[in-house]
Amino acid sequence: MKVPAIVEKELKEYLLKPGSISWGIVFPLVFTLAFAVRFGDVDHLAPGLLAISVLFGTTSFVSSSVIFERKLRTFERLLVAPVSYLEIVFAKALTGSLFGLFVGLVSLLFLRPFTVYGIWNPALLFLFLVVSAFCFSSLGLYVSLVVKNPINAMTWLNLIRLPMMFTSGAIISLLLFPRWFIAVGLLTPMTYAVEGLRFAMLHYYDVVNPLYSLLVLLILTLLFMYLATSRLENLY
Amino acid sequence: MEEAVVANNLVKRYGDFEAVKGISFRVKRGEAFALLGPNGAGKTTTVRMLTTLTSITSGEAYVNGHNVKTEKLKVRRSIGLVPDVSNLYEELTVEENLRFTAKLYGAPLERVEELMREFDLPAKRKFGKLSTGFKRRVAIAAALLHEPKILFLDEPTNGLDVHSARAVRELIRLLNKRGMTVFLTTHNMLEAETIPQRIAIMRDGRIVAEGSRKELKDLVGRETRVRLSLEPLTSALLKRLESYNFRFEEGYLVFEVKDPDEFLDFLFGLKSELGFRINYLCTELPSVEDVFMELTEKARPRGGCPL
Repeated sequence: MKVPAIVEKELKEYLLKPGSISWGIVFPLVFTLAFAVRFGDVDHLAPGLLAISVLFGTTSFVSSSVIFERKLRTFERLLVAPVSYLEIVFAKALTGSLFGLFVGLVSLLFLRPFTVYGIWNPALLFLFLVVSAFCFSSLGLYVSLVVKNPINAMTWLNLIRLPMMFTSGAIISLLLFPRWFIAVGLLTPMTYAVEGLRFAMLHYYDVVNPLYSLLVLLILTLLFMYLATSRLENLY
Repeated sequence: MEEAVVANNLVKRYGDFEAVKGISFRVKRGEAFALLGPNGAGKTTTVRMLTTLTSITSGEAYVNGHNVKTEKLKVRRSIGLVPDVSNLYEELTVEENLRFTAKLYGAPLERVEELMREFDLPAKRKFGKLSTGFKRRVAIAAALLHEPKILFLDEPTNGLDVHSARAVRELIRLLNKRGMTVFLTTHNMLEAETIPQRIAIMRDGRIVAEGSRKELKDLVGRETRVRLSLEPLTSALLKRLESYNFRFEEGYLVFEVKDPDEFLDFLFGLKSELGFRINYLCTELPSVEDVFMELTEKARPRGGCPL
């Protein structure tokens, strides 16, 4: 009952915040459209663009929420209520995931007219979208809780998000880079989302087996959730 | 347990800075208790420790019989907190804010309707669009939704205009009259003078005095002050008044008297004898403010010779 209540509150309160709109909706959708219009046939780019949309959608939403909660001290309302730290983190990550999933699905709709092949496995695609959204959402939550001044959360997030767009093979396949760059790619959480989505949409992958991608994404989600919970506990 | 709050040697340290330096006190059930002190005295930190919002560095605290360190959820279920800022959700309406809070605490949703009626709150208005006074009322209503046993209020009238502040003070008094334990922090003397039955005065992280208003006033030991304006102020009149010690202050004659009744009898006897007019007469009992000033200023080292 508490988690759905927090999710409902989050959506009502933070959906239309500037950070959620600009970095969470406008940037990924314009980015997707720009690539689609420029290149026409974007079948091989689609998984990467989809991953970028989910990454920016999720992290921007949770970051906006944490920025306002810390700045206006509304976080304290949750912390003084009989709600566990894990419930708070889970509810926030879930809301960010829902928002990111929505942005991802809109992005997919935008891409449809510019693709030739259909989606190889829609159910697997949905599974990878959900798991990636949860992983990115938890990452965004952790980063937003770690930064000392909440106003800087979005800047710190961009320091992580923008390089990830390139090191994950979302835009240019990792196979086209030297081995050391592939190693960097394997340290990037988004690589596993891109590889999984690529397999689900086009039935091939570049460097990481989809089962392994799914496993890594799940482990990273748990890790980021654990770190975010510990951070929240020590923040006040 | 008869006590609503027990604090034993509470310490809060932020790095090298010790904000609260080993304070101990007890608050009885149904009592209104105030922590009074200047800014930075450690009042808010104490409330934050007792309400589980910040960790306790050392010492022990029990709220409604629950250990604050080890039974956080039980403590949270049994308390209501009105922080120094009204921190509800700006984009949500008053009703949505209260419904959300009710769900967090598992309170029946009928309580929302009940409190909105009782506090005369505009259900459909967004919280962010309300005046500061109304925001504070919503914050108090939200803290009462789950019918807590104790209500913590941190500077409840801070930033409010005179009317709103008075309304909030009335409300706190009413809640206490109904049997709710009230724990407030304040640096507002009017609040300290009218709401709590017991007061602890804090300075630099320590409690420097604790007791009822009367006990605290007795600590200062000041006599009743009588302020007078008499006309005409003849030398004969001044000579007769010399039997009491007085001084001139801002055009007034100021007396410090042990027995004000005896002094007033003397004054009116003199008036019928000498025929002067009393333009102004005011008696001032020692106030909490006197105690506060005495205890928070006097203890500071003065000049260059603290010893």
